[in-house]
Amino acid sequence: MTIRLETERLVADDVDYDQLILRDRVHGSLYTDPAIFDKEMRDIYENQWVFVAHESEIKEPGDYVRRRIGTQPLIVARGKDLKVRVLLNRCTHRANMLCQSDAGNATLFRCSFHGWTFSNDGRLQGVSFRGGYEQELSELRAELGLAEAAQVGTYGGFVFANLTGDAGDLEEYLGNAKGAIDRLVQLSPEGGIDLSAGWMKHDNNANWKVVNEVQVDGYHPLFVHESLYKAVKPAKVDYSSDELRVAVRDLGGGHSEVDYSREYQNQDREFIWFSSIPRTRVPNYVEAMEALHGPEKTHEILVDGPPHTFIWPNLFLAEMQVMFVEPLAVERTIQYTAPIKLLGAEEMSARIIRQTEGAMGPAGFLIADDAEMGERNQIGLHAQEPEWVLFARGFESETVEERGITSYDRTSETSQRGMWQHYRTLMTEKTND
Amino acid sequence: MTDTRTETASVGTVPAELVDYMVHEARLADENRYEEWESLWADDGIYWIPTGDDKDPETQVSFVFDNRHRIGSRIAQLRSGRRHSQTPPSKMRRQLANFEVLSEDGDVIEVAANFSLFEHRYATTIWAGRYLYLLRRTADGITLVKKTVLLINNEGPIKTIAFIL
Repeated sequence: MTIRLETERLVADDVDYDQLILRDRVHGSLYTDPAIFDKEMRDIYENQWVFVAHESEIKEPGDYVRRRIGTQPLIVARGKDLKVRVLLNRCTHRANMLCQSDAGNATLFRCSFHGWTFSNDGRLQGVSFRGGYEQELSELRAELGLAEAAQVGTYGGFVFANLTGDAGDLEEYLGNAKGAIDRLVQLSPEGGIDLSAGWMKHDNNANWKVVNEVQVDGYHPLFVHESLYKAVKPAKVDYSSDELRVAVRDLGGGHSEVDYSREYQNQDREFIWFSSIPRTRVPNYVEAMEALHGPEKTHEILVDGPPHTFIWPNLFLAEMQVMFVEPLAVERTIQYTAPIKLLGAEEMSARIIRQTEGAMGPAGFLIADDAEMGERNQIGLHAQEPEWVLFARGFESETVEERGITSYDRTSETSQRGMWQHYRTLMTEKTND
Repeated sequence: MTDTRTETASVGTVPAELVDYMVHEARLADENRYEEWESLWADDGIYWIPTGDDKDPETQVSFVFDNRHRIGSRIAQLRSGRRHSQTPPSKMRRQLANFEVLSEDGDVIEVAANFSLFEHRYATTIWAGRYLYLLRRTADGITLVKKTVLLINNEGPIKTIAFIL
């Protein structure tokens, strides 16, 4: 069954977004208005490409994970034909949630309410007491398969789906952010990553855009993370220095990044992005990389390190972690974090897991404080004046480069401006159906 | 792996000094007495909050898997006065019950208790689960070798845990 985009008029269709999103500021109501949230779910989440899972979570036929797109519950399942499908987690009979486990392996999903069964490719298999309907079972089957996302696509193992209509080509959507996925998988001597270490799930009382904005914000670390840098260990780069060669980049399409590679190149040191460990700690990894790329290219890859890139609207390549958000309500967001295992780099895996726990998640030395800022932001937004949230830093420092609008002022709000300009486009243009 | 179903070796006979120790540890955590709490730990201490009841910390991510060094870092961050997620610190009270001795091997004793914790910052959050402790008897008294926190909601989204759980 295909999914139809809701076409009924929403309250927030009548909002003039050009008045709320200016070049250097956005209106506070965009973070607090439930009607605007409803429109976002339709026009951003249900009508565009959205990250849903990674292939390593559903390697084998029958593997599935339970997720959401916007507020809609999903099953992301690999069929026996190896195809990945994104199915709405709702029995087509009386709407019971079909699958309860977070992850597992199943060829059939059986509804616990009246026993209807569906194969993991979404087809209706069996109807209990089949005789009670006017139609033949074959007709019911043709009509009542599970609803399925219109488009599913994969790039570098990342699975994206678009629920309704035609959102165009996935690689075109990824645009300049595609290179970030390439940069990540290139760190593996086998050219792939694995998220089997699992997810931490963090419950934030904040709007999903607040949670996203801080991920590519080069202005906050000295303040929000002062306790870590002063009491535990210094930041990997010196955020207080005006000489810092970190780029903030609006990649277009809502994607953006904080690119540390130029600073790393300037220092010409490997693994600055990984606690500056010496090569001797991971000799097999370095050997495997050199066997594949040769010494020069390997040095380059190990200097440049992983991406720090946000992929609109919900995925964040957080260096050695993958993060994504699920918006539950206008002021409630679940943030997921998984350590990245680089295939063919066993020595790195345990370290990445420990590094992830140190920095990220609900108890992390970094993210607990980012989440605190998000929740305080959400409280502050309920004060009526000033109405605006400012994103005015760094206009003068911006230049247009091949990969996007770039500022070499690490504190520039270029990335957030990029998100908001794309947001305005999506909230004002005609939907793709 | 943590076996939460281990049968009790000696029901109803948890030595009073062990119960006192667990209650004392809980009080230091409740009252954000960071230095005193840190001083409970043995040099090989592990403070562990897994993301499920049957997780292997070597291959799966945990919310917390602190060795003694990282426990020190965690406390140093809390004491810095700039740990925003604990500024102001949570007000907390927790109850421990259903004490059990799970095993005893020389100087090392494994004990367990159920807990419920009421934590207040902007709002009151209820935390619940089971604590597993490895305690070592030494000439200087009992030291904490391992504390495992099995939250009942560890597989789902949880709120920030920047306080001592």
